[in-house]
Amino acid sequence: MSATSGVKATAVAPRTTGSESRSSSPTPPSHDVGGWHRFWGRFDHKVVPYLLISPFFILFAVFGLFPLLYNGVVAFRNWSLLDPANDGWAGFANFARLLEDDKFWNALGNTFGIFILSTVPQLFLALVIAALLNRKLRATSVFRVGILLPYVTPVVASTLVFASIFAKDNGLANWVLGLVGVQSELGGGQVIEGVDWRSTKLTSWTAIAIMVNWKWVGYNALLYLSAMQSIPKDVYEAAALDGAGAWKQLWRITVPMIRPMVLFTVVLSTIGGLQLFAEPMLFEQNAQAGTGGTRGQWQTVAQLIYYTGWKQLNLGYAAAMSWGLFLIIVVIAAFNAFLTNRLGGGKR
Amino acid sequence: MKWSRSRSASFLAAGAASALLLTACSTGGGTEPGEGDDGDGGSESVDLSIHFWGDMGFTQLAEQYEEENPGVTITLVEGEFNAQHEALQQQLIAGSGAADIVAIDEGFIVQFRNQPDKFVNLLDLGAADYEERYLPWKWQQSLSADGATQIGLGTDVGGQAMCYRHDLFAAAGLPTDRDEVSALWDDEGWDGFIAAGETYVANSGKKFVDNATQIFSPALAQQEHSFFNENEELTPEPGPKAAFEITEQVIDAGLSANIAAWSDEWNAGFANDAFAVLACPAWMTGHIRNQAPDKAGLWDIAAIPGGGGNWGGSFLTIPEQSENQEEAWKLLSWLVQPEQQIAVFETVGNLPSQPALYEDPKIQERVDEFFNNAPTGQIFSKTALELEPQYLGKRNGPVRVAVENVLNDIQAGNLSTGAEAWERAVSEAELAAQG
Repeated sequence: MSATSGVKATAVAPRTTGSESRSSSPTPPSHDVGGWHRFWGRFDHKVVPYLLISPFFILFAVFGLFPLLYNGVVAFRNWSLLDPANDGWAGFANFARLLEDDKFWNALGNTFGIFILSTVPQLFLALVIAALLNRKLRATSVFRVGILLPYVTPVVASTLVFASIFAKDNGLANWVLGLVGVQSELGGGQVIEGVDWRSTKLTSWTAIAIMVNWKWVGYNALLYLSAMQSIPKDVYEAAALDGAGAWKQLWRITVPMIRPMVLFTVVLSTIGGLQLFAEPMLFEQNAQAGTGGTRGQWQTVAQLIYYTGWKQLNLGYAAAMSWGLFLIIVVIAAFNAFLTNRLGGGKR
Repeated sequence: MKWSRSRSASFLAAGAASALLLTACSTGGGTEPGEGDDGDGGSESVDLSIHFWGDMGFTQLAEQYEEENPGVTITLVEGEFNAQHEALQQQLIAGSGAADIVAIDEGFIVQFRNQPDKFVNLLDLGAADYEERYLPWKWQQSLSADGATQIGLGTDVGGQAMCYRHDLFAAAGLPTDRDEVSALWDDEGWDGFIAAGETYVANSGKKFVDNATQIFSPALAQQEHSFFNENEELTPEPGPKAAFEITEQVIDAGLSANIAAWSDEWNAGFANDAFAVLACPAWMTGHIRNQAPDKAGLWDIAAIPGGGGNWGGSFLTIPEQSENQEEAWKLLSWLVQPEQQIAVFETVGNLPSQPALYEDPKIQERVDEFFNNAPTGQIFSKTALELEPQYLGKRNGPVRVAVENVLNDIQAGNLSTGAEAWERAVSEAELAAQG
């Protein structure tokens, strides 16, 4: 006991226990110093680590946990900036209204539509790209860095470019469709080449899903690639000897062996997809309106929350909507995790 | 014992860490007001910020004010129209972040005057003297419901006119002189306008107006009631319905280029002749000038079909959270003085809301070369004096967007004009008005 504390004392703070104090000092002072050092040593071991990681938790508490809880409180209150008089607890009124709100269900449908159109092709493409990049290629790093470029492009910049690609008049997409001979007639007898991308659910969902896919495929591919690198080569060699082709290797060896990473990306894409906001927001021609098209063709739930909170200025109802979205994300993410586990043949 | 001690110690450490962080935050936040306080004291160095959108002609004025008032530094922050108002609302809730002087548009003024405690009551600072200078309705617009708090002073008004391209008119066989163009729709109002548009489309093969919603706005501004009455009840009829029907006729006649206003394509449309007319309140002239400088002299200004109506116009306010309220008031009241208001009119075209200025030779004799030497001062001051102001409800913004979306849906070919479209417009308006 005393031996260990002495060792610690010299190890931690050799300057205070100088050589002369150790040689000449009697027992009581050295006991005092040992007590201080024991305390400091314990502090160093038990507390300093917490201190060092505390900034994250403090920031999370201030900017994550507090807003979350406060939002929960607001969801049960009447809080409209246009009706300051209508104040106080609302009980479950906001949530009851949510269940009957056609706009909410429409937005939920849009969110899922865009989510399916973006997540499924995105993860599939990412898997194929990662498998290709995992082979011996020339200039591998060029490709690996290249596929990450869309991810580091600011979403506002890329969306503005896409918005002009999908423009009704003189858009690149419509020019291509025009070459194939696609034409649409709009109201007032106006005829355009291609289609009015913003006018129907299917076209607007497709356009937005393409933006999302473009941005996230590379990111997911890199995640898959990093997981694939840890798969031993001899597994593939054995499979090749048994006559398994590249495609079969991908589905029978690679995918099962990177299952944890697949799970991770599925959960992440689910959360991201259900919170989709920037792309649909900027796809709008009046980017500030938040209505998601002329009849909410592509209004996502996140957009509807924004519209309710900052356009209709009903913060209580908007808070209830965000909690609704939160619960839905939890359910879907859990279901996805379960499904992915099953598909991958996992036992958990 | 050992366990409990280390645990309490760790709490202590966490506490210490958070205290450190908090003091770091508070000192960081504390320095700025401290500096400001010093300024108020002896050396008189004050930073004032102004939040606004578009071009309100502040750039030169700010320089001039800084020169005349040593120690005052003015920071101009230009934002996007909608984002600007939204940010202000968020800053008012948060209690910090708003500028010392914030511009608010007519369309949002009801929303903000309903929160009078968030703004400095300008009446306390001597604004009552200004009441008689303003158009009476302009003064009323920014007054709180009980009449006790004046949250802002008016800058410009948006008396309406119709800007048109005389070169494109000539090519399509329409008259070019501004009086003759006005005469096209002098008697029949919007019907005359639509007839002229049909001639234009038939002869030129191009579209006449930029977007149907850009007809809806001025047509609605001419009605006695907009979306809401003074009791904040939704009034879809008769005002909005009349404007909606005019707009439907414009769409059915095939006059609309169906380009969303304020979009990039719209801005490009000024340069590539995508439309030949644009309903223009005084403040719109500045935007036209900025978008297509090489079309100088090709635009001209005629009377608006249907006559009258106000579209837009702004106010300057001081949020209660401003740390330099008195200095901000000095600047604000300087900005609305006649010389400065006339200077703004001369640089960007925004027409002042103080009718006495309309007699000023600088406004009366003003001709605008960009608009083919049109006497803009006479045109816009005449419309401003004649117009009958409307009450804009506090939910005016979302309701307008909802109804315009129905019009855009018609233009997209998803809906045909008629009773069905109007029913949908009403139900969308009701939803948007729910809040």
